[in-house]
Amino acid sequence: MNDRYSRQSFLGTNSEALFQSVRAGLVGLGGGGSHIAQQSAHIGIGRFALFDPDATEFPNLNRTVGATFEDAISKTPKVIVAERMIKGINPYAEVWPIQLEWQKDFESLRACDVVFGCLDGFSRRAQLEESCRRAMIPLIDIGMDVHKGEPYSISGQVVVSMPGKPCFKCLGFVRDKDLDEEGRRYGEAGGNPQVVWSNGVLASTAVGIFIQMLAPWCRINPGSAFLGYDGDRFTLEHDARCAVTVNQNCEHFVSVGDLGDPFWKP
Amino acid sequence: MNSHFKLTVTLLDHVIADLSRPHPFAAERAGFIGCKVSRNREGILILAHTYVPLQDDWYADDQRYGCFFNADAMRVAMQFALTNDASVFHIHMHEHRGRPWFSRIDLRESRKFVPDFWNVRPNLPHGTLVVSTDSAAGLCWYPSENKPTKISRITTVGFPMKFLERLT
Repeated sequence: MNDRYSRQSFLGTNSEALFQSVRAGLVGLGGGGSHIAQQSAHIGIGRFALFDPDATEFPNLNRTVGATFEDAISKTPKVIVAERMIKGINPYAEVWPIQLEWQKDFESLRACDVVFGCLDGFSRRAQLEESCRRAMIPLIDIGMDVHKGEPYSISGQVVVSMPGKPCFKCLGFVRDKDLDEEGRRYGEAGGNPQVVWSNGVLASTAVGIFIQMLAPWCRINPGSAFLGYDGDRFTLEHDARCAVTVNQNCEHFVSVGDLGDPFWKP
Repeated sequence: MNSHFKLTVTLLDHVIADLSRPHPFAAERAGFIGCKVSRNREGILILAHTYVPLQDDWYADDQRYGCFFNADAMRVAMQFALTNDASVFHIHMHEHRGRPWFSRIDLRESRKFVPDFWNVRPNLPHGTLVVSTDSAAGLCWYPSENKPTKISRITTVGFPMKFLERLT
């Protein structure tokens, strides 16, 4: 094992080669995705597909790891900021910076072994999950929100959608009424409020689950997971709603037609 | 043509449990896996969804072979491909650790029967897999290509994810 990774040798003698061969897909390179890109590069993940159509602006600098004042002035694409950061840590990493919505490059998304969803909104999450299920890709979603409370309240989640296991709907994370209502109630404290410390907690947990998936260091099998973040009390706990469903099979993506390319031609 | 074969941990466990059962006379068991297909930036994805085990009486008692199945087995597998618009992969097991590979008889016989699936599903890739206790290998016949190619990656999806074959 390379000296560089000696402090994580407990992940297995083959973990270095394993991590180098894995392609992580990051959908959204803002507050959450930038943390995940940085940590995945440090761990030694060797292949990345980065999806984000946006350029860096000043309001991103409160939380986007790796973005600089100069990036905000020159409006550097977020995927380029992330690529620069990854390559700075691991120059040998293969990075696909895709400055598009992920829906415009399905073929790159389907090449990923695991996808991190760092999107706002339930409908976008549901769409990404459907595409990941179709290509049998585990999806790890993170997100946070700030609600009006006393005076404000921070909450968030890390949710794992594992093919064959409970999906976002099974877990109660995405509900039909949420899809209907999200346009009205999302981001009550302003335009998609986000802060770096909450993003960091959620992203770090997502990366830990990812590594547990690839090179488990203990016998606990998280299966599908729904971890709720209480940003006021600084706690992250398994959501009680999924205690029963988490080890069951999915009730929604059950048809063979939910898999593969329905318009396949050789 | 790069090809990436994926199946869930649950499905692989199910397959191995079946293939590990002793047969009254055959030295090895075999089965078929039904798959859907997709395309990605690096090649094709073959996504396993259903295991079709072979019944005991579909094996032929021929001691020259570890496992020799009869026409009933092929009929069922071809019907499955037709009914489910499925790509079909034959699978059997070599009980050892490390990377497995096909015997000469495996290769000779699969060259005969795998292309038969094009009679019912000509647009889909079909193939054969061999699993060991901790690894796997496979060959894929892609439509319009006469010779099979090695499956580049074989991945089990679940906890933990296992990369049984990584040629790329």
